[in-house]
Amino acid sequence: MVRTIALKLSAAALLLPLFYGASLASDLVVGMPNWPSGQASANIIKYGIEKKLGLKVEVQEMGTLIIFAGLDTGEVDVHPEVWRPNFDSLVTKYVDEKKTVRLSPKQVAATQGICTTRETADKYGIKDIADLSDPKKTAVLDTDGDGKGEMWIGATTWSSTTIERIRAESYGYAKTVKLLEAPEDVAMAAVDAAAATNTPIAFYCYSPHHVFDLHEIVPLTEPAYDAAKWKVVLPSDDPTNWLSKSSAPVAWPPSYFNIGFSSKLAERLPKVASFLSNIDFTPKEITEMSYALQVERQDPAKYAQQWIAEHEDRLNAWSK
Amino acid sequence: MAFPLRTPLRKTSGRTISAATATCLALGVAVWATLAYAAETQIFDPKTHKWVKYDRKKARSYYAAHKQVPEAFRMQVVPFKTAEKPGTIIIDGNQHFLYLVQPGFTAIRYGIGVGREGFGWAGIVRVGRTAEWPTWTPPAEMVARDPNAAKWASGQPGGPDNPLGARALYLYQGDQDTIYRIHGTPEPWTIGLDVSSGCIRMNNDDITDLHSRINVGAKVIVLMQGASLYKGV
Repeated sequence: MVRTIALKLSAAALLLPLFYGASLASDLVVGMPNWPSGQASANIIKYGIEKKLGLKVEVQEMGTLIIFAGLDTGEVDVHPEVWRPNFDSLVTKYVDEKKTVRLSPKQVAATQGICTTRETADKYGIKDIADLSDPKKTAVLDTDGDGKGEMWIGATTWSSTTIERIRAESYGYAKTVKLLEAPEDVAMAAVDAAAATNTPIAFYCYSPHHVFDLHEIVPLTEPAYDAAKWKVVLPSDDPTNWLSKSSAPVAWPPSYFNIGFSSKLAERLPKVASFLSNIDFTPKEITEMSYALQVERQDPAKYAQQWIAEHEDRLNAWSK
Repeated sequence: MAFPLRTPLRKTSGRTISAATATCLALGVAVWATLAYAAETQIFDPKTHKWVKYDRKKARSYYAAHKQVPEAFRMQVVPFKTAEKPGTIIIDGNQHFLYLVQPGFTAIRYGIGVGREGFGWAGIVRVGRTAEWPTWTPPAEMVARDPNAAKWASGQPGGPDNPLGARALYLYQGDQDTIYRIHGTPEPWTIGLDVSSGCIRMNNDDITDLHSRINVGAKVIVLMQGASLYKGV
C-alpha cells in the first residue's frame, strides 16, 4: 500500500477548489484517499460520528498531501489511513515538528514483500526470498522466452518500488530475475490469469489487500527486518548513486497505519478526537473493506452504512 | 479431446519487425515498446502423453484435420477470479488467450494469435471504436515491397479475404488511436501462434462474438508477455 505522492498531488490539485468551497456546511471534514479501504473507513468514520455524536460530517476525496495540508490548517479534520513508514516524512513534519496533526494510538498492522501463489510455492518450490536467486527456479517465471524470469515490483511512481529494487540488488536476485514496473491493475490481472491457468508467478504484495481474499497468496519467507542492515538512500537524496549506496537484504520494517486528525479538531471537538482514538479496525476488517469495494464493487457510502448497522457494539466502545 | 497447452522458453532469433508491426509500433504512442523475444506454443498430445511443439505447420495440419483449432484455443467459459469488472478484456499474449470478464468470477476465453515478436507492448488501453468487415490499408513499406499489398494501396474492402477479418476493435489510449487492433483473420489456423502482424488476431466467429458483447470504452489490459518491454534494471 505505497501510494504515489505524484498521483495524490495531481488528484488533490483537481479537488482543491471543491474542498475549500464545500466544507462550510458540515461540522467536520474527513479526507478520503483513493484506495478502497481508505474510502470505506472514511465513510465508516462519517456515519459513525453522525450516529453516535450527532454531528454533520462531510467526506471529500483528496490526496494525502492535501489532506495533511488541510489537517495542518484545520480545514480538513481526519485522514483515515496514514501509512507508515510510507508517509514518515509527512508524520515527521506535521506530527513531530509542527504538532498540528495527531495520530490515533491504535494501529492496523500491514505487511509488504514478495508473494507467490500457492501453486508456485508448492509445485515450483519458490517459497523463500533466497529461491529468487536460483536461476533454475526462477526460469519458470519467464514470460518472454529469454530464459530469465520476470517479476512485478510495483508501479513506477510508488516509493516502495525503489525500495524493492534496492532489496533485489541486496539479496542478489536482480541478477536472476527481470524486475518489472507497471500499473497495479496490469499486475493484478496477471495474477488472475496465472491463477486461472496454474501458471507460476511472483510479485510485490502488500496487505491488507483484496488479492489475499481473491486468490491463495503466499508471502515469501525472508530474514527479519534489521535496522542495522536497512540502509536506504532514495533517488531524491542521491539521483546518481542511490542504488549503489543502498543495502537492504532483510524484510521490510513493520508497516502499519493510524487514523490521523487535526490538533485543532482535538481542541474544538474533543469527543470526536476520543472517538477516533478508540477506532480499532483489524487487518481482516480492512481486507474485507478492500474486497467489498474493489471486487464486489459496493458503493463506499452504502457499505459503510451497512457496516455501522452491523457493528453497534464497536460504535458503543468507540464512543466511551 | 482436450489439448492443454503451455508456452515454454524459446529465444527467437531477432528483431525483424514486419511492416504492419512497424506501423503499429511507429504510431503506437508510448505504451511500452520494442521486443526481442517471443514464446513458443506447445500442446499436449494425449496419444503420446508428450508436449509437442505447436508451430505453423502443425497448426495447419491440425486445422485441416479437425476444421477447428485445438480445444484450448476455442471459445469457452472458464473460472476467472478477478477484481476487474465484467466487460473488461484481459489479453495474455504469452498463453495466447484473451479473456472477457463475466459476472460470477468467470470469463469467456478466446484463443488468439499474436505478433511474431509478441504483442509489442503492455499496459491499459480501451476500445475506442469498432468496425464490421473493416477496410485494410497496407502500410507504405509493405506496399513498396509486396506486389500483393500494392494493389490495395488505397485500401482493401472488407470481406472474407481481408487480413482484418470480420470485425476490428480499435484500441485507444485516452482519445488517441494506438494503431493496435484486436481483429479477425482469414487464417484461423494461426490462432495460438506467434505470427506476424503486431496486433491481436482471433478467428472470425470469435471476434464477431466478442464484438457483440463489448461496449466502446471497454477497458483492455495487456499483460506482461514480452516483459522486456517494461522498465528493467
